[in-house]
Amino acid sequence: MNLIPLILYAAAGVVYAIHFARRQPAIGRAATTLLLFAVLSHTFVIGMQTMEVGHVPFANLSRLVSSFVWLLALSYMYLELTTDERAMGVFILPILVGLQMIPAINPGVERADPVLDSPWFWVHIASLLFAYASFALAAMLGLTYMLQFKEIKKKQLGYFYTRLPSLHILDAMNSRAVLLGWVFLTIGVVVGVVWTAQARALSPGNINLQEMSLDDPKIFIAVLSWAVYSFEMFARRTLGWAGRRSAWLSALGFVIILLNFLPVNYFVTTSHTFQ
Amino acid sequence: MHLLLLGVSHKTAPVDLRERLDFSSRDLGAAVEALATRPSTAESVVLSTCNRSEIYVASSDPFQARDDVTAFLSEYHSLEPGTFMPHVFAHSDEAAARHLFRVAAGLDSLVVGEPQILGQVKEAFQTASDRRCTGPILSKLFHWAFGVGKRVRTETALGEGAVSISFAAVALARKIFGRLEGRRVVIIGAGEISTLTAEHLRTHGVGEMLITSRTAASAEALAAAVGGVTVSWDEAMGALGHADIVVTATGSQRPILTLPQVEAATGRRRSDPLFIIDMAVPRDVDPAVGDLEQVFLYNIDDLQTTVQENLSRRAAEIQHAETIVSEELVKFASWQRSRGAVPTVVALRQRFDAIRRSELQRLDSKLAGLSPEARARVDEITRLIIEKLLLDPTEQLKALPDEETQVAYTEAVNRLFRLRANESTSEMPDSSTPTRPPDRRRS
Repeated sequence: MNLIPLILYAAAGVVYAIHFARRQPAIGRAATTLLLFAVLSHTFVIGMQTMEVGHVPFANLSRLVSSFVWLLALSYMYLELTTDERAMGVFILPILVGLQMIPAINPGVERADPVLDSPWFWVHIASLLFAYASFALAAMLGLTYMLQFKEIKKKQLGYFYTRLPSLHILDAMNSRAVLLGWVFLTIGVVVGVVWTAQARALSPGNINLQEMSLDDPKIFIAVLSWAVYSFEMFARRTLGWAGRRSAWLSALGFVIILLNFLPVNYFVTTSHTFQ
Repeated sequence: MHLLLLGVSHKTAPVDLRERLDFSSRDLGAAVEALATRPSTAESVVLSTCNRSEIYVASSDPFQARDDVTAFLSEYHSLEPGTFMPHVFAHSDEAAARHLFRVAAGLDSLVVGEPQILGQVKEAFQTASDRRCTGPILSKLFHWAFGVGKRVRTETALGEGAVSISFAAVALARKIFGRLEGRRVVIIGAGEISTLTAEHLRTHGVGEMLITSRTAASAEALAAAVGGVTVSWDEAMGALGHADIVVTATGSQRPILTLPQVEAATGRRRSDPLFIIDMAVPRDVDPAVGDLEQVFLYNIDDLQTTVQENLSRRAAEIQHAETIVSEELVKFASWQRSRGAVPTVVALRQRFDAIRRSELQRLDSKLAGLSPEARARVDEITRLIIEKLLLDPTEQLKALPDEETQVAYTEAVNRLFRLRANESTSEMPDSSTPTRPPDRRRS
């Protein structure tokens, strides 16, 4: 079922790329329309899965990725509609397509551990996914900032110069995305800690819960990424690390997040595999 | 109705002749009015810029109109026709429309793609329209041209990229800072090029503008012109720390901004960018300043390079813009053809309505028993029936593919319904002398 959104995301990605190259408004509108259909079909898929298992499909990694892609697509559409800037689409769509391949290839089965049957769990996952989506946008804005910066600094006003928004706008949007992501990351982590304490009291025999500590790579890296983004915001406000440094930190932060989201989840962590 | 265009432009006439045929320095409105009083010019618009003077006329007698416009040009500018006629180009109908579309698109401009021309075309039309010198033909033609200009601007890169040094500097500033509102500017040296740049920056709404110059008088003059403040050299250096844009254009033989100076001034500043535009030859700013992370340093050669690149990029877009012009021209021509059917359509309508009225009149005594509401209803229903009957034939007549078919059809309708197209069109403001089908064949 995840195949249809994947195809639509890929089609939208191609049209965004054509729009980026040719800069014709009509093609841009077509790209947005395709993305809208992709998101709608994806909403339908997630809705069906929710009805099937009785809750939002968060507990299986493959489905979690699918939900993340959906949230990122929604966040990007919000950004596009509020700023009327389509140039970023060509950078975001490849992420959507790449990640959506995981649920499309292996849909996964939602087998939730009873310990996850708590409202805290849903708040934990939903805020973290939203934080990741914001950080993904921030990283893309940072990347485009660096491209634009490089062209202007080197006085080679070429391909990106004519297509990307101004440095100031990219920086301001990056700052906003990081702040939003940081707030949700904080909520997600705090809720996770509180909920673990509660769950331990309720099911003392659960192995996963025993593993919940800073020694666990997943938790450690999550806290590390929180530290990176906290530093980015702190440095922007007090050390004047705006612009290029901020852009680098956003990219670094998102690389850490992505590592944590996929390889660490698959191979390393012991605490977050509830199956 | 035919379109006629007579004019001179930078492509056909030398500048001294263009000056003598210029309307923009004198009262353009009065000129259009003077032209419109001639009997053959049903509609007229005068477009006059420093690169062109063009007269657009809609007339049922294009030959007479051509003579009239020539006489008008000669009388209005007190010139012998012999002095300017060799430089005048004349186009009619589709060729005239194509020319206007190309002008509005910026394809006929000295600097291809320059944006002002579309505004000037709009102004020319507005002036004529305010004086009631335009009618349905020129009104449609000019609005169509505005659309062509807009399409070319949004769908091609013809107008993109600055093609003058000072515009290039402002375009760069906008790529760095986004909107320039409230940005702080320091200007060092008040020569011609810094004045131009300062003026462009001002129109983009920059905030505080500090101006310093070795000659106080020129600094004062520039400050007055762009709403800036004159300051001493030391004050200007002190302001570097919180400036966003610095423009230098002095005659100094040595760099006036060195790396230590700029470092000292910007040392404690936050990492938001500083854009330094060095327009002086020899350069005013030590090139090493450009290595500072937050500094974007551009000298006059860098700007010249971007200007050249923009010019060649525009040249590559010309074909695309010409295609748009041709596409729109096809649509416009088909609209113009559909107008050939208008007199017949109007006559047909009036004919039907006359029958309806006379029938109602004839039945007046029989309808006398009805209440006023019922009589109004009868009136309404009969009118609606006619509307419905005429809907399809009207649309079909207007949508005929070519002129020959149209002449055949209108003639058939005229015969079938015993219409004489010219007797019933007095209400049409644009067709006081309608085009009779036999005439159209000749053209």
